[in-house]
Amino acid sequence: MRYRRNAPESVGGALIYSLMFLAVFTLAWPSTIELQPGVSAIGFLVPGIAAFALFHGAFENAAFSLLYDKLEGMLGDLLMAPLTPLETVVAYVTAAATGALITGSIALGVLVLLVPVPLASLFPIVGFAVLGSLLFALLGFLTGMWADKWDRYAVIDTFIVMPLGLLSGTFFTPALLPETGQILMHTNPIFYLIDGFRSGFTGAAEASPLFGFLLSSTLVFGLGLLAWRLFARGWRIQS
Amino acid sequence: MFDSSSPSRPAVQPPAPRPLGQVNWLGLWTLYLKEVRRFLNVITQTVLAPMVTALLFLAIFTLALGRGDLVVHGLPYALFLAPGLIVMTMLQNSFANTSSSVLISKVQGNIVDVLMPPLSSFEFTLAYAAAGVTRGLLVGLVTGVAMMVFVPLPLHQPIAIFWFAFNASLMLALLGLIGGIWAEKFDHIAAVTNFVVVPLSFLSGTFYSVERLPENWLFIAHLNPFFYLIDGFRYGLIGVHDGDILRGAVIVGVVNAVLWALAYGLVSRGYKLKP
Repeated sequence: MRYRRNAPESVGGALIYSLMFLAVFTLAWPSTIELQPGVSAIGFLVPGIAAFALFHGAFENAAFSLLYDKLEGMLGDLLMAPLTPLETVVAYVTAAATGALITGSIALGVLVLLVPVPLASLFPIVGFAVLGSLLFALLGFLTGMWADKWDRYAVIDTFIVMPLGLLSGTFFTPALLPETGQILMHTNPIFYLIDGFRSGFTGAAEASPLFGFLLSSTLVFGLGLLAWRLFARGWRIQS
Repeated sequence: MFDSSSPSRPAVQPPAPRPLGQVNWLGLWTLYLKEVRRFLNVITQTVLAPMVTALLFLAIFTLALGRGDLVVHGLPYALFLAPGLIVMTMLQNSFANTSSSVLISKVQGNIVDVLMPPLSSFEFTLAYAAAGVTRGLLVGLVTGVAMMVFVPLPLHQPIAIFWFAFNASLMLALLGLIGGIWAEKFDHIAAVTNFVVVPLSFLSGTFYSVERLPENWLFIAHLNPFFYLIDGFRYGLIGVHDGDILRGAVIVGVVNAVLWALAYGLVSRGYKLKP
């Protein structure tokens, strides 16, 4: 519900950023560069751009939602309602993920209208999109619980979420990095997420999408459990 | 009986208006200082975060464009990109400073605290603009220094660097002031930021040489003041330019004069500031 109110702002913002990235990359590029063997530059980029819009959106929605409620004192109303902690957590997280998925789909739709984007298989696209948005929504939810001021949220956003979203293979393959960089990338779960998501478009993947799927699902499950237990304890929400 | 020749306590002087002279220097300085402290208070968010974002952009663009093989105007791409990113960060942050300050004061209702003191419209405008410029320049400096760690940025023409950095910050500080005065909700400012400031700063030759654009787009690019800011600043650092620098220097000065007049006019009319 809250998402619908802010929709023009969040969709518009994400859309503009996605379009900007696309425009800038296309213009800055000499047309011969291939980022991944056998994959066109656009085919490589568009999923990355859409994925970033999706994940960042999910994080933002969840963190903002919870933090706003906490700081404005509206959390009391929520906690008094006859909802179990599990239901509350699930509601916040899935709402944030849904909002992000809508934004991401719109952004992707617009990008697809503008440039030719390959489509290999739908299942990885949907699967990783859902997993990814849930994962980031959970991260956002945890951040919202942990933060006690807007500054804290901004710190997490700028220093953790954005680097994770931008540097985990969204815009380039690990093959371009030096040896240590590649090793680091392969330990980064977000990389598998993005790679798997992209493979649904391009049909090519650096790492095993199945492994990525299992890893992401485990993470979502684990973080979800954590979020639920912390919320039930009233960590940093109730004094 | 009272002895009328020696009063029991000295007579209290009624308060006299403090003489202010032509310019209220103290008031101006105080407002300026308040505005600067406002952003220094949350320096992680206002200065460090933009620096990190700029570095991120530098990383992904240089990495994405294939092992840094890309060459623009005879220079490696990273060298071309870095100044553009510094300017972009300055632009976005000067705008954010003034627009958020004015709008938050309006929304929270404490704009009256700034309007009541004996400050002329000139002093008011100057203080806000100066604080925006300070933020812009500080962010630019911090970002520039951070980038030098990764990209060896020369200092080709320091005068150009300063002139364009100053004008960039001033232009957006004034735009932010006007925007903050005009806006009534945060959504308005978000809209202006997302649909005007961001596209203009991305597409004005920050990431690519405008020579790559087809004829018609090139013409439009030359109408965009941000282009001259970015081009001039980049020239100041690495000595490479797409347009005429001198013409650009004059254009940005003129644009700022116009914006100043507009901002000053709005403030003196009390447009959307005073009921």
